[in-house]
Amino acid sequence: MSSFEVLKLEYGACVEALGEALKSDDETAFFNAVDHIVRMREPRTITAIRRLTGDLQQALERFSIESRLADIAEHGIPDAKTRLTHVIRLTDQAAHRTLDLVEQSGPLAERTAREAKALLGASQALRAGATLDSRAESAVRSIEGFLGTAHADAEQIRRNLADVLLAQGYQDLTGQVIRSVMTLVQELEQALTSLAQLSGDVVEHATLGENPEAGPGPPVPGVTRGEVATAQTDVDELLSDLGM
Amino acid sequence: MSKDVKFLVVDDFSTMRRIIKNLLHDLGYPHVAEADDGKTALPMLQTGGFDCLITDWNMPGMPGLDLIKAVRADARLAGMPVLMLTAEAKREQIIEAVQAGVNGYVIKPFTAETLKEKLDKILGAGK
Repeated sequence: MSSFEVLKLEYGACVEALGEALKSDDETAFFNAVDHIVRMREPRTITAIRRLTGDLQQALERFSIESRLADIAEHGIPDAKTRLTHVIRLTDQAAHRTLDLVEQSGPLAERTAREAKALLGASQALRAGATLDSRAESAVRSIEGFLGTAHADAEQIRRNLADVLLAQGYQDLTGQVIRSVMTLVQELEQALTSLAQLSGDVVEHATLGENPEAGPGPPVPGVTRGEVATAQTDVDELLSDLGM
Repeated sequence: MSKDVKFLVVDDFSTMRRIIKNLLHDLGYPHVAEADDGKTALPMLQTGGFDCLITDWNMPGMPGLDLIKAVRADARLAGMPVLMLTAEAKREQIIEAVQAGVNGYVIKPFTAETLKEKLDKILGAGK
């Protein structure tokens, strides 16, 4: 049998039904016949689309039933943003504290270096012009030795402090990275919220317990709930109450 | 070279502004003012009294690139030496900054020596 003979066999009945429907003005029969032809023509595509639609429907139902995703959109992500902001604030405080100490210590080191050098010069000049017994000579040389070391050490401290100053640049660089993550989190929040709305979000959210998002780690203001010790004295007081 | 140069340092991170201020003081420049964004910096520049601008790129209100363009577009400010000091290091960005009219471009993290070298270069001419 030629391939066209096969086609006539496969499609023949449908084409006839189509013609009949047209002749008898039967709209329902017409579309049934058209659908039948389309189904025969593109079976795989139709099946695949049907399956995708079914999968999507199931996924959306699961989304609204598994309220965790909706809860992440509503609580988890704002918590994440609060935590990231907190990190930036902590690093800012730490870097500024370090810079305070650098600014205080620099002049001290500079003064020590300067005065040690001056005293060393003065001592050497004095010794050159005087006659000292061996004990005095030895003592003065020891002092001069110390002054030389003090000068060199203070200069090194000064250089180290300059490096510490530059190293605080980490706070700017890490802060910029964190801010770009926060932008990403914001976009994720919007997408999840839209998805939650799309799925109808009919189911009441099951509350996920007192503090599901907190996890281990330092307390974060606005996220961590419950009583938190803020100073060592709080801890010691509690320990003392517990009998330790 | 005159140490009387009046700097405006613009960066949205206060720690970075403080570091740059310290470095400028160490180089012998006592006059350093700060702004936290291009938006707050521009009116300060327009009020007058500044000889050199050091600016970051990424700032929420007005990014550094837009600040530079505004400076170059203002007849009173157009000739001011401008140094860009930023973590942005892509080739296209550097080209964009040069086209906008920066006199120098330093990427973070940077050393004190690099800052001195670039400043000497952009301030040396004409002073």
